[in-house]
Amino acid sequence: MKEIIGIATVALLSSLFVTGCANTQPPTTSGIGTNEMTQGDEFSKHLKLDKPELALKLNIAEVKSRKTNRLLEVNLQLASTFKKSLKLQYHFNWFDEQGFVVEARKTPWKPVELHGFQSTTLRGVAPNEQVASFNVYVRETAEKSYKY
Amino acid sequence: MNKLMLATALGLALTMAAGCAQKSVVRYGDATAVETTDISFGSTDLQKVAGEMTDSLVLSPVVGTLTQNKRPVMFVERIKNKTSEHIDTESITDSVSTKLLRSGKFRFVDMSRVEAAREQMKFQQEGGMVDSTKAVQFGKQIGAEYMLYGNLSSIVKSNKDKSDVYYKFTLRLMDLESGLVEWADETEIRKTKAKESVGW
Repeated sequence: MKEIIGIATVALLSSLFVTGCANTQPPTTSGIGTNEMTQGDEFSKHLKLDKPELALKLNIAEVKSRKTNRLLEVNLQLASTFKKSLKLQYHFNWFDEQGFVVEARKTPWKPVELHGFQSTTLRGVAPNEQVASFNVYVRETAEKSYKY
Repeated sequence: MNKLMLATALGLALTMAAGCAQKSVVRYGDATAVETTDISFGSTDLQKVAGEMTDSLVLSPVVGTLTQNKRPVMFVERIKNKTSEHIDTESITDSVSTKLLRSGKFRFVDMSRVEAAREQMKFQQEGGMVDSTKAVQFGKQIGAEYMLYGNLSSIVKSNKDKSDVYYKFTLRLMDLESGLVEWADETEIRKTKAKESVGW
């Protein structure tokens, strides 16, 4: 009996420490994933989501674009279909006529918070006149870091 | 037997604890990621103000008229840092002017390199080493028509549980000939830091 208790103690203690170590990730840049998932509606080509779960919580209500001063200006209305708050980050990707990326990796991630069922308009302006199309990449922000 | 188990448990725990404490990892991060290390002016704020200001400027109807058939020449006067912290405002001006230049709407003259350019031209003209027919001529540079200038100010408040900082960045475009301010805009940032209970 004592032996069993001893083994259990060892197992419990070590598992506790393992979890403690695993959760010390910084909260800043989480959510960089490779499995993109798009929704099945007409606007889907404009929205890239980080995780499949996000597709159940987000929806594009409207996409508008126009040329202002020969630059592509985009308004994209993002609506939450989730009852709780969503802390998100997004950035625009810009493509030229041939579908090549314009000003790659220069558009910063922007934080946006959506309360339950709230919708908001994301606004983007093309960096130059060559831009012909775009998409928006949305990811969820990790909330906290747990530390010992 | 019991003692042995206890000793093993203790040993394991200590090893794990030591392992946790001494972990130091170097990795590359995303330069455009949202950075929330502390409350002071950071890379995300810089990218936000530079991006928003550039977007606002290139979309404004006034700039549409100015850039209809030509690319106006601008120069950036410095951005005054009126905040309580040390901020490299030249970095903000660099970002703004680079974005504007790359948008293809404007051209720039760089006032910070006038001396270096003069020295090079002097060398070409008077050094005796450069073919005089191919030397760059004095007095042919194009003068700036517009001046871009601005302020960065902040309001900082804090109590024992919470700190709050508010930044306001104002940018203006002045027509040098007429002295008229053709365009102006401001952007704001609010950051708060509060103690959060650590949950499991």
